[in-house]
Formats: sequence, structure tokens, C-alpha cells
Amino acid sequence: MILASAGGVVVWIVWVLAGFACLASGVAVVSFSNPFYSALALIGNLGALAVLYLLLSAEFVAAAQVLVYAGAVMVMFLFVIAYVGPEQETPWVGGPGWQRVAGVLAAAAIFLEIIVAIGLKAGGRLRHSEHVNAPFGSPGWIGRLFLTDHLLAFEITSIVLLVAAVGGVILGAHTKRRDALGEPG
Amino acid sequence: MIAGAWLCLLAPLGGALLITLCGTRLPRRGAAWLSTLSVFVAFAGAVWSFFGLRAHGSEHGSVSTAWTWLQSGSFRPGLSVLVDPLSTMMMLIVAGVGGLIVLYSIGYMDGDDEERRYFVYMSLFVFSMLLLVEGGNLLLLLAGWGLVGLSSYLLIGFWHDRPTAVAAAKKAFVMNAFGDTTMALAFFVLIAHSHSLDYATSFTTAGHLPQTTVDLVALGLLGGAAAKSAQIPLHTWLPDAMEGPTPVSALIHAATMVTAGVYLIARTHPIFEQARTIELIAAGMGALTLLVAGLVALVQTDIKRVIAYSTMSQIGYMFLGAGIGSYANGMFHLMTHAFFKALLFMAAGVAIHAVAGEQDIRKLSGVGTYLPWTRRAFLAGALALVGLPPFAGFFSKDSIIAAALHAHWYGVILWVVALAGTFLTGLYTFRLYFLVFPGEPTAFVREHHHAHGGKEGPWTMLLPVGVLAVLSVIGGWLQFSPLWHPLTNWLEPVARTLGVAEPTSWQEGLSSGLAVALGLAGIAVAYLVYGRGRVAVPRLPGVQRALEHKLYFDEAYDALFYRPAASLAAWTRRDFEEPVILAAGPDLGEAAFDAGRGLRRVQTGLLRTYVLFLGAGMAVVAIVFLVVR
Amino acid sequence: MLGPGVAWYLGIAAFLFGIGALGVLLRRNPLIVLLSLEIMLNGANLALIAFSRSAGNGAGQIFALSVMAVAASEVCVGLGLVVAINRKRLSMDVDRFSELHG
Repeated sequence: MILASAGGVVVWIVWVLAGFACLASGVAVVSFSNPFYSALALIGNLGALAVLYLLLSAEFVAAAQVLVYAGAVMVMFLFVIAYVGPEQETPWVGGPGWQRVAGVLAAAAIFLEIIVAIGLKAGGRLRHSEHVNAPFGSPGWIGRLFLTDHLLAFEITSIVLLVAAVGGVILGAHTKRRDALGEPG
Repeated sequence: MIAGAWLCLLAPLGGALLITLCGTRLPRRGAAWLSTLSVFVAFAGAVWSFFGLRAHGSEHGSVSTAWTWLQSGSFRPGLSVLVDPLSTMMMLIVAGVGGLIVLYSIGYMDGDDEERRYFVYMSLFVFSMLLLVEGGNLLLLLAGWGLVGLSSYLLIGFWHDRPTAVAAAKKAFVMNAFGDTTMALAFFVLIAHSHSLDYATSFTTAGHLPQTTVDLVALGLLGGAAAKSAQIPLHTWLPDAMEGPTPVSALIHAATMVTAGVYLIARTHPIFEQARTIELIAAGMGALTLLVAGLVALVQTDIKRVIAYSTMSQIGYMFLGAGIGSYANGMFHLMTHAFFKALLFMAAGVAIHAVAGEQDIRKLSGVGTYLPWTRRAFLAGALALVGLPPFAGFFSKDSIIAAALHAHWYGVILWVVALAGTFLTGLYTFRLYFLVFPGEPTAFVREHHHAHGGKEGPWTMLLPVGVLAVLSVIGGWLQFSPLWHPLTNWLEPVARTLGVAEPTSWQEGLSSGLAVALGLAGIAVAYLVYGRGRVAVPRLPGVQRALEHKLYFDEAYDALFYRPAASLAAWTRRDFEEPVILAAGPDLGEAAFDAGRGLRRVQTGLLRTYVLFLGAGMAVVAIVFLVVR
Repeated sequence: MLGPGVAWYLGIAAFLFGIGALGVLLRRNPLIVLLSLEIMLNGANLALIAFSRSAGNGAGQIFALSVMAVAASEVCVGLGLVVAINRKRLSMDVDRFSELHG
């Protein structure tokens, strides 16, 4: 009993730390003016999220988050940012004034509405969580789900990735050939 | 047996599809022979199912369902074929005579620019007709009915650069569509009461319906039958349909399609027997048609139109027979008529072909000198049409006339009309024969015949004519009512002759004797007036003008339907379209322009503004969900 | 379940989604816009996984993994566009690409 409550306290502490890191790094991503720092903050954000996933017993997703997202995707991001170079002259915000105000209002409205929706349900179904077994969220369990119940989603995802890869190649190769021919953009 | 029926149904469709898909890769002759082959394969299938059915005994008809064709609640008709004595008989006639006519077309259509299209249509027609007669329920019958109308439209208008042909095709289609509609309405009534269009179910249901409802159903069926079989008052399309190629006239407008109405009455006779009034109306309609068509045929000058009117007249006999309940005799006449009428059309086609497409009998005069075999074949067909023994028409027509005499007082009127019809038949048939074939060739005939090459025609044309000439002579020996009647026995399980239509032997003898005598009298008058020219045609200008205008049916329809519709259209154009719609046009356009100019500003091209609208919309929708839930 | 309830996770998810939306709506650098989009997607992922845990159902995690794959695709195409923009020596400002206006 004591052990369980001690475990609970540890989980709470981990959750508070990870949640705070998550929120702070999120704000940082949006507010840095240099994209390089933003990308670094996003890596931190992804790591913090992975911790939250672990708390939610989603082990495989957490691992994939760190390996694929924070590892591979963000490395690509950083590479492109380095390739483009720091664009200091890009204004931090801009456009018409009403756009700025309305943007803040819309974002705040969406946030508040979600909070209200959660609040309305917090006392009901959201209070109880199902008991889950040990395999929940493990790689084997996810793999079986992917290859049985969600096979179609799996296959379609692979097609989406293929299309994106082809699109990326075309975007890169096309501009190169146009440049080589010296045609005006 | 069932496999034979399916083969019979699908072979012509396969032929049509194959020719269509191959297109110009297939040589023209190849297309023609493919089409012919497909129809003869269908005939083989028909023979197969005939012998299969004979082996099982003709009462064991069977239905084979491929799959549920369409499903709507409890109404689920199957895609099925029916093999029973009636459908087998029709399959044999359609595929057999059809095959001969397609073979004939090879010679007739030689050199036409669009031969492939012609043969696709021919195969399609044979398929449609086979679907009509083989369809295992009334819905498939209606599908075949409509497809037959379509292919007839396509074939009548085959020479689409002739305005008259296109107009004739449209006329035929509209008239047939009218009949299709009344049939469809009748079927709706049946569906509403029995949730089925199977023959057996529908017939049982018809027995339990109120008299008025059955009468309506039968009337709807009769409308379809009359339109397809060119019975008064829906007959005006048939003479015009002679604009199509001659083999088409032979196939569609003589041998098969126009007899579909008789088939329909024989097929659905349990419904008609529940509605005796309508059935007697059908018989009366047939009698009226045979008389009127015979009279009009007397004054026509186009060789094919004369034969077309004689077709109407002969189908009138069939309707008469079917209407008084003598179904087997009606079907028997349908069969022999298919032989001799196809023969007459094809022999006429040989003559037309020999003189470069001329159809006016005054110009064709004397063509028989150059075409001795065609002349003999035409003579055989003409004698069969008039009904002299031992030619085919004698056996089939006289049994109908005799049956009419037996059907109480109403039948006696029909009997008199039918006998008058035989006189007219003899007269107009031999008027045609004497005017066209014997005698000195006119200068026109001499000139064109020599240009044509001096032969009677290619063997593909002469062989079918020969076969049909033989059938016109011996085809009727199948049944001689007083002595032997295998056909009636064969059809007994499907279409049992009504008791009122079984004449005694003295009625048979009287009818046959009078019919033959009157036919001979008609021939004699024709010989005196047209063969020798000894007796002048009596001058009756009023009557003649009325007959030349085909008793003003076209004019009446023009005044009744076309003119009101045209004036209504002109009125709405003048008083509604021009002042209202056309006037409002520019203002509406200006308003649309203004709206567009205003809305253009929304399209800023700024990505973030679009995202803002997306986000704002999402926020609003979320509020709606929160509030409404 | 130890620790805070699902609602708390959802709160974090909502905040991430909102802050990402704010970035997309306000920032003009296309790279930052892409990064903000990633934040929004991650917010949605967190919600999906939280619901998956709450319902004891694996579908949410499957969905989250699919979202990751889609995000990777989106990054691939988006970065391709950024590289193409840079090749053309164009300005790194989404508001400058507004030729498709009415």
C-alpha cells in the first residue's frame, strides 16, 4: 500500500516535470525567432511527450517517437535549416493587424473550447480508466494489431509515405533541372 | 436443353459485341459472316432445346435462372430463360428465319459503306427478340420488348442520311414507346398486387384480382401488343418503316418483331381469359386491321408498302385467332406467315436490288422476265399468302377463320370480315404480282437491269429465297386441323385452346371452301384488271383518295397530337420564354458579375488568412457541438 | 492508473494544439510554420494515446502511429518546398507567396 502510494507520488512528480517541459518547449518552438532554436525546442518537446506516452503505457509509440520523430525527422529538419541558413530578416510576425488579433483569438477560442469540452466530461467517463494488461502498448501487441485489425490503415500509410517520398524527389529534382537549363523561375 | 436456350440467347449478343469490339480490324465480309454465323448458332441452340424438350415431354417446361437480376424489397426478378413449347417454337422461328435473312443481307448489303454497323444491329435485333421470347418473367419480356424497339429504330434509320428514314425511325420508336408504356403500367399493377412478375405467379394473381383491375392489366398488355404488331390505331409506323433496308423489312416488319404482339397474347392468355372483354376487343381490333390494311394495300404504289400493309392484315388474322382463344392457330399462322412474308419481302428485295433500288411498282413492271426464279418464288409466296391449298397459308389461315365461326354471334361477324379479308388478300397480292413480274419489261427495267450485270443475284440472296419458297409450300402441312394437329398438341400445356374456338368439321369445311373460293375470286379479279387489262379500274375518286391517304390516320394524328403540341411550344416561346427568361438574362448576369467582383477580395492569396478562416470555422463548429450536443 | 487522470493529459494536448495553431497563424517563416504544425500533430497524438489508455483499446495508438507517418510525409514534402524556395533565392516569408489572389 505504501509502496503503491509511493509509486503514485513518483508518477505525479514525473508527470509534472514532463508536462511542464512539454508546455515550455511548445511555447519556445513558437516564440524563437531563429528556426534552429525552434527545432531544438521541438526535440525537447518530443522527448517530454515520449515520457508522457510511457506514463500512458504506450511503450512502442514512445520508442517510435524518440527514434523516428526526434531522431530521424528532426535531423532532417536541422539539416534543412542549416542548408537554408538563418533568415534573420524574416519578420517575427506580420501581415495585417487584424490577422494578428484574430489569430490569437481563434487559437484561444479553440483552446478554451477543448478545455470546456474536457471539463464537461471530466467527471464522467474520463474519470475511470480501463485496467490494462502487461502487453498493452508493447511492440508485439501493436504489430499484431497492425497486421490483423488495422491492416488497411497500415497499407494505406505505406502508400502515403511512398507518395511523399516521390513528391520530395520530384520537388528537388525538378528545380535542379530548371536551374541547370538556366530558365527563369 | 437449358444450355441450348442460353446458347441461343447469347450467341447473337456475342456476335454483336465481337463485331463492335473488332471494329475496322474485321473485314466487312468477316463482320457479315460473323453475324450470320452467330444467328445460325442461335438456331442450333434452339433446335437443341427443342429436341431436349421433346425428349422430356412438352409439358415439362423449365426455367433456368442465372442470377437475381435486380432486387427491390420483396420484388426480385431473376435473369432467367424459359424453355417451354411456346418459347421453343418462337426461338426456332426467330433464329431460323432470322438466320436466312441475315444470310440474304450479305448479298443485299454488299458494298454499303457501313456494313459492319448494319450487321451489329441485325445481331442485336435477333438477341433482343430471343430475349423477348425466352425471358423467364414479364420483366425480361419487357426488356426484350424495349430492346427490340430500339434495334428496330436503329435499323429503320440505318440510312441516316435520308431524312425520310430518320423520320420513319422516330415515328416507329415513339409508337412503340407508347406500347411499352402501357405494358409497363400493366406490370406495375401486377407488381403492386403480387410482388412478382413471374409468369406463374402473375397468372395466379390475375385470377384473384377484381374484374376492373384485370381489365386494366389486359388493356395495358393489349396496348403494347397493338403498338408492336401495328394494329389499328397504332399501326401508322409500319408502312413508313419500309424506309429501312429490305432485309430489315423482312426480318423485323414481317417475320419476327411485329408478331411479338401475338406471342404476348398467347403467352399471357391466362390474364386475357380473365378479361374476356379485352380479349374480344383484341379480336375485333385484328378484324378491323385486316380489313382496313387490305383496302389500303389496293392502292399503294410502293412494292414494299403493299407487302407491309399485307403484313398488318395478316397480323390482324393472328390477333383475331388469339383473341377468340385459338392460340395455337394464331401461333401457327405466325409461323407460316414468317415463312411466306419473309419470302415475299426478299423476292421483292431481289427485284429492287436488280433495278438499282427502285420500289415503284409502275416502274418495276415486267421485271420478272429477267428474274424467272424470283418470279416463281414470289408466286409461291403470294399463293401462300392468299391461302390456296396446298400452300402454307391455307392451313393456318383457314383454321383461324373456322374457329371464328364457332365463337358465337360475335365470332360470326369476325368470320364475315375475315372472309372479306381473304378476297382482298387475293386482290392486292395478285395486283402486285401482275403489275410487277409478268409482261413486257419497261425501258427503265431494261436499262437498269443491264447496268446491274444481268444476273439474278448472288447465291447468298437466292439460297434463302429458295429455302423459304420451299417452306412456304410445305410449311403448312405440319398441321391440318380436321385430320392431324401436332402443333396444337405441342402448345397444349402452355396455351390451351379455349372451348369456344374448336370448330366442328362442317364449320371447317364451309370456312375453307369459302376462303379458297374468295381468294380465287380475288385473284381472278386481279387478273382481269391488272393482268389482262380487260376490265378498267372503277372510278371512285373519293374512295381512292381516302385509301391513298391511308384513311387519314396520319393526318388525324398530326391534327390531334402534333399541332397542339407545336402550338403550345410556340405559345410558351412567344409569351413566356422571350419576354420572361430572355429578358431576365442580362440582369441576372450583371448580378452574378457584381457578386463575383465583391467576393474576389476574400481571395487574398495569403496562406495564413486561409488558415485563420479554417481555425475560426473550427471554433464555431466546436461551439455548435458544445451547445447542441 | 497511477498518477493524474486522462483529463490532465488532454489538457496538455489541448494546450499543445492551441500553441501550435497560434504559431501557424502568426509566424511568417515557413520553417517555423512547419514546426508549429508538428506541435499541433503531437497534441493530437497525445490526446489519441490518452484516449487509448482510457478505453483500454489499441486503435488510438495505431492511429497515433499513422499520424506520425503522415507527419513524416508532410515534413518530407514541406522541406522539399522550403529547399525549392531557397534554390529560387526567394524570401523565406509565407506572406510573399500570395500570387494566387483574386
